[in-house]
Amino acid sequence: MRQGFSRATVVTLLTTALVLAPAPWILAWVLRGGQYAFRITTLMLVNATYAVAFNLIFGHTKQLFLCVGALAGSSAYLAVVLERDLGWPALLTTGLGLLFAAGLGGLVSYVSVRRGLGVIFVGIVTLAVSLIFQNLLLGFRRYTNGETGIDTHGLGIGLGDRVVAYYVFVGLLLLALAVYALLMGSPAGMAFRALSGDELAAELAGIDVTRYKVLAAAVGSAVIGLAGALFSDYNGFINPSIYALAQVDIVVLIVLIMGGMRTLLGPVIGAVVFAAIDHVVRPFGQVTVLVYGVFLIVLFVAFREGLVPVLRRAARLPIP
Amino acid sequence: MIPILFDGVVQGLQLALLAVGITMIYGLGGILQLAHGQVAVMAAMVAALLIAAGVNAVLASAAGILAVALFSVAMDWSLLRPAYRYRGEERLLLSLVLTLGLAFLVDGFLTFRYPEIALTLRLRTPSVVVGGITVRTASIAVSVLAAAAFTLLALFLVKTWLGRAVRSLMQNDVGAALCGINADRTRTFIVGLSGLLAGLAGIAQGLFSSVGPEMGSEFTILALIVAVVGGVRSLTGTVTAGLLLGVVNAFASYLVGTYMTLILLLGVALVTILVRPQGLLAYWA
Amino acid sequence: MTSLLQVERLVVAYDDIQVLREVSLEVREGEAVGVIGPNGAGKTTLFKAIAGLLRPRAGHIAWEGIRLDGRPAHDVARRGIVYVPAERELFPQMTVADNLTLGAYAARAGVRSRLARVYELFPRLAARRPQRSETLSGGEQQMLAIGRAVMARPKVLLLDEPSTGLAPRVVAAVYHQLTTLRRDGLTILLAEQQVPLALSFCDRIYVLENGHVVLSGPPQALLNDPALKRAYLGVEVAP
Repeated sequence: MRQGFSRATVVTLLTTALVLAPAPWILAWVLRGGQYAFRITTLMLVNATYAVAFNLIFGHTKQLFLCVGALAGSSAYLAVVLERDLGWPALLTTGLGLLFAAGLGGLVSYVSVRRGLGVIFVGIVTLAVSLIFQNLLLGFRRYTNGETGIDTHGLGIGLGDRVVAYYVFVGLLLLALAVYALLMGSPAGMAFRALSGDELAAELAGIDVTRYKVLAAAVGSAVIGLAGALFSDYNGFINPSIYALAQVDIVVLIVLIMGGMRTLLGPVIGAVVFAAIDHVVRPFGQVTVLVYGVFLIVLFVAFREGLVPVLRRAARLPIP
Repeated sequence: MIPILFDGVVQGLQLALLAVGITMIYGLGGILQLAHGQVAVMAAMVAALLIAAGVNAVLASAAGILAVALFSVAMDWSLLRPAYRYRGEERLLLSLVLTLGLAFLVDGFLTFRYPEIALTLRLRTPSVVVGGITVRTASIAVSVLAAAAFTLLALFLVKTWLGRAVRSLMQNDVGAALCGINADRTRTFIVGLSGLLAGLAGIAQGLFSSVGPEMGSEFTILALIVAVVGGVRSLTGTVTAGLLLGVVNAFASYLVGTYMTLILLLGVALVTILVRPQGLLAYWA
Repeated sequence: MTSLLQVERLVVAYDDIQVLREVSLEVREGEAVGVIGPNGAGKTTLFKAIAGLLRPRAGHIAWEGIRLDGRPAHDVARRGIVYVPAERELFPQMTVADNLTLGAYAARAGVRSRLARVYELFPRLAARRPQRSETLSGGEQQMLAIGRAVMARPKVLLLDEPSTGLAPRVVAAVYHQLTTLRRDGLTILLAEQQVPLALSFCDRIYVLENGHVVLSGPPQALLNDPALKRAYLGVEVAP
């Protein structure tokens, strides 16, 4: 991976694409339900995409952004409101949403680095951002329709067809993975590796810590924003709870840690396993949140390295 | 104006009661307790369940408070154990995630198992007239409770050996060890005490509104805001911040509504972190 | 004289770096033992290991017959080995009085009389009783650290470079008080950068270099070794 877009990366991405392509149909056959199969595989792709971004932001540059949901949601709401109220074309609004998220994420990162905030305070700051976002949505009901949310049918780039939507999200995930691989293979990637070890040492070695952290945050936030906006298209409606902490951030944490931080496929594998778990737990309603909590605890206590290293050893393959 | 101010002070006392626990745990254990609000709610739930079973309200409340104090001690011994193997930022990060997971766990459990249960305490006389102003007895009760709690806490910290040990650990854990102070045991005690205070705050809230499983996160956030603004290492700062933010909360709610008020409070916390992270009101520089 | 503290073949390492390589040392009741050596020799590491702040990788520390290595610092302190680190580790926002009182946490009987005794020994501290310890000068902080240690009714006082950063007059005062404490029967183990101080104060010294003990014996032994004498006292020996 050190030579940028290496052969291994290309092979990995192609393999991933090949595995993902027929997945919903196979799953539909196994579960005997097409609608549901497409839904959970699409959701899986969205979670994986969020996790790839979070991998850059938290995995590689130790920025505990507990505002993934807020970033995704702000992009989504911005796009939807602009389309609905100003009639702007979907591509433009989606782009704006992406840029807004990237800007917000980059700003939070920049301010945090400049003020020398430790991981914890970044976590608290981003938690506050998440909550401010939620309350803004609820407070400005004239635009956002509060808790009820907004119907997005007819808006967006047209992800009404579940097959089209699925492949769009496959494309999004592959794009996110490609961006990740490119970044990691570039000088930025080396900087990230130095940063995640010892920030002070990296700084003293001449690495512009601010620049690389902000870069990781901005790029990651852009991906999150894009995913968030596209998801609002696909979902048919948006409301504050879709982008809440308990829906997005905790899921992203679980997915990334379970899959394996700082690996290429970690987010994907984590998302697949998480989808399976969710499938089992969802029917029980509120217990879902309980299970998420248990998973978070167990992962951080006993299984912080994640699945990719385990699979590497088991299959004796250098899974990236 | 005056009634709002008075309400604000009472709310402030409650906020301070809630936040002091987080400050103590952070300052002494280097741990961020994100399930703090859930602890407060659990006390209310235990009390509510006991009251529903016919137990006297005062006893039920005391039982609820005691229950969560014990829960907190158990949490310190078990869940937080992995965090104590580390120091500094590692410990904070791990505790943040573990207690976040615990918060979700408790939330999920309570909403799943007891979705309809909530604590509502009613005093026999709803209000009295003091100096021409109608005052809710609940406000008086909570003020008295909170004031008593803070007085006892202050006396404990200043006059008793254990209290001095607590203060010393908050300032220098190495120095405290060299004086023969067992940091682990003291910390477990503080975590239990913090749970007790959270439980008291949860029960107290029951005098004003219905306390149900969904209120956990709100309590945690408020406690965190107050602790951050007052200084996560400063007890006096936290109490002061609680009072101030309570007044701000009361006025803002009256002027701009619930959501904007919360945004305002969050904004204050954000500004504090960016401008003076040790706390706007912290005594120590 | 009974042997109070025995350190046997102590090995302390940070990851792969060995700081103490099989260091052995003994302190007998009533003695003043000094450990001297250059910076980085391992003096502080040795003291931290004895005090329970560091875990040795190998070797024994025995105190009144009981194994101490691996025990936590508060346990060691309660047994009577009281450590005064070079960093002093005071409680910055607490008053002088509070700092001293806390020293007696594990030995509360007779706190008041002991406190009076400490104020007698260190009149400067008595004058600053209600002041926060962070406002004291370097010398006063050192005295406070020693005073706090004395409040613990120690059987052995471990002092890590008590003279560091202090003006000569203050150093003299500190050592004068230490002498008084010795006369009261206190056993002392100290590490010193200023070799002449150690030589004049201690009954026995150990010279630590690179984690090894290269000499142990009465101060005279150092003076009799030309190489060490040159190294530590800078005195050329006539050919």
